[in-house]
Amino acid sequence: MEMEMIKTVDLHKSFGSLHVLTGVSETIRKGEVVSIIGPSGGGKSTFLRCLNLLEKPEQGKIYFEGAEITGNLTKEEKHAIKAGTMPKPAKVNIDQHRQKMGMVFQHFNVFPHLSVCQNITLAPTMLKGKTEAEANEMAKELLSRVGLIDKLDEMPGKLSGGQKQRLAIVRALAMEPDVMLFDEPTSALDPEMVGEVLDVIKGLVNTGMTSVIVTHEMRFAREVSDRVLFMAEGNILEQNTPDQFFTNPTHPRLKDFLSKVL
Amino acid sequence: MNFATIGSNIVKLLSQYWKVFLIEGLSNTLLLTVIAVSLGALLGALVAILKMSRFKVIRFLISIYIEVIRGTPILLQLYIFVFALPSLLPFLNLSYFTWTAIALCINSSAYVSEVFRSGIQAVDKGQTEAARSLGLSAGQTMRKIILPQAIRNILPALGNEFIMILKETSLASTFFVGDLMTSYLTVKGATYLGFECLIIVGMIYLCVTFPLSKLVSWFEKKMANPNYKKHDHKRKRAVMEGGKV
Ligand SMILES: Nc1ncnc2c1ncn2[C@@H]1O[C@H](COP(=O)(O)OP(=O)(O)OP(=O)(O)O)[C@@H](O)[C@H]1O
Ligand SMILES: [Mg+2]
Repeated sequence: MEMEMIKTVDLHKSFGSLHVLTGVSETIRKGEVVSIIGPSGGGKSTFLRCLNLLEKPEQGKIYFEGAEITGNLTKEEKHAIKAGTMPKPAKVNIDQHRQKMGMVFQHFNVFPHLSVCQNITLAPTMLKGKTEAEANEMAKELLSRVGLIDKLDEMPGKLSGGQKQRLAIVRALAMEPDVMLFDEPTSALDPEMVGEVLDVIKGLVNTGMTSVIVTHEMRFAREVSDRVLFMAEGNILEQNTPDQFFTNPTHPRLKDFLSKVL
Repeated sequence: MNFATIGSNIVKLLSQYWKVFLIEGLSNTLLLTVIAVSLGALLGALVAILKMSRFKVIRFLISIYIEVIRGTPILLQLYIFVFALPSLLPFLNLSYFTWTAIALCINSSAYVSEVFRSGIQAVDKGQTEAARSLGLSAGQTMRKIILPQAIRNILPALGNEFIMILKETSLASTFFVGDLMTSYLTVKGATYLGFECLIIVGMIYLCVTFPLSKLVSWFEKKMANPNYKKHDHKRKRAVMEGGKV
């Protein structure tokens, strides 16, 4: 059996009275590339952001590489702890876990006050005990990989959208994560820049990086994914291999969605 | 009275009393302002931190503090500090100048705390999310990512606060603390040339505030955050509709 990278169990998330995630249970295996598609407001971003606890699900569990990270307890567990038959779980250090989960945002969120190189080296030097020299070396290597080596000392303000997103991707990679989470990495880009970013992601997943990709790029999802999830109304309504998913959709909501999108 | 006599009176006054205006008046005004703004900034930073506390009671108390100070006239606050507090705390035995400085400090802390808070909150939330997603703690994120960006919003506002307080120190002349406005009262009393004195004092205030405000706006332009394009959702739809599998 392949190893489980991320497993969610009955994940619930609400914003006020809006029930956005309605009990999502899903497993991402090591090395797997999973795309999530679905209508706007369906909860895709919320689900992704729950995985590294940028949003805190109020109910349900998330296991990352075997460790539970939400600290949420089921009713039975609460009773067991009260009764003394189960020890109180240790407090989760989410910062530690986040180091192993890279995230790429729709709006890049590069650090505008730091140079391209510093954007990449900041976290590894602060958190992984890398020396400046080691981190710089790594930054150069990563930037060459995505064709930005000539921007090493530029400020991010001077970069195009596509370049910023490529920088954001390597900034995350510099932490040597075990999984990458992408939230619509190309949705904010001018059309002519979408390709360059998708190429970088494609290159990355080809190296075997476990990835979860929320995207509206159907062709891309079909091409790179091992599995495609359809998320709407706060849950995963259908999932399948890309070929089956796009050629043989069964859920009426998915059929309806694909007929509009394709 | 005509312009020629006013002009010659001003020249006369300046040559005779420049020490009163500049050495006593202006320097005391600047001293009061520097004390009020620098200590006010320290206190204001503390107030801003407490205002963002996770404890509701603390946030509530701090917002009362801020509202009271911003909602009452600074002259009233000066009266309280110079007249009321010394009689309540007679053992303190501080000078009017010191009490005035304290009052201005407290006043400035309330305004400055809002400058800090809004400066910090103006930094895009995505910056915090990106930093936290890399594994930085909340404190590390504040130090390395948020504050260095917030400072661009904060410094110009602090400059404006300096100019405001500089002008408001004139109210302290009510208690003859020796500021620039006090020197107006002194020289007017000695010469009966009230209008000329006002012109002189006004010119001195302007000589300080005008370059300062120019400096602030220069700085604002220089520090202006590179404005990110706000992204439209139309494009996403276009991509969805145009994308073929
Ligand atoms: N921080 C928040 N506060 C309140 N409501 C929120 C918040 N974040 C998301 N929502 C709401 O939750 C619902 C799901 O949002 P989410 O962003 O997860 O959808 P999505 O599937 O990513 O959609 P899109 O394709 O537009 O990005 C939406 O109705 C949204 O308005
Ligand atoms: Mg979204």
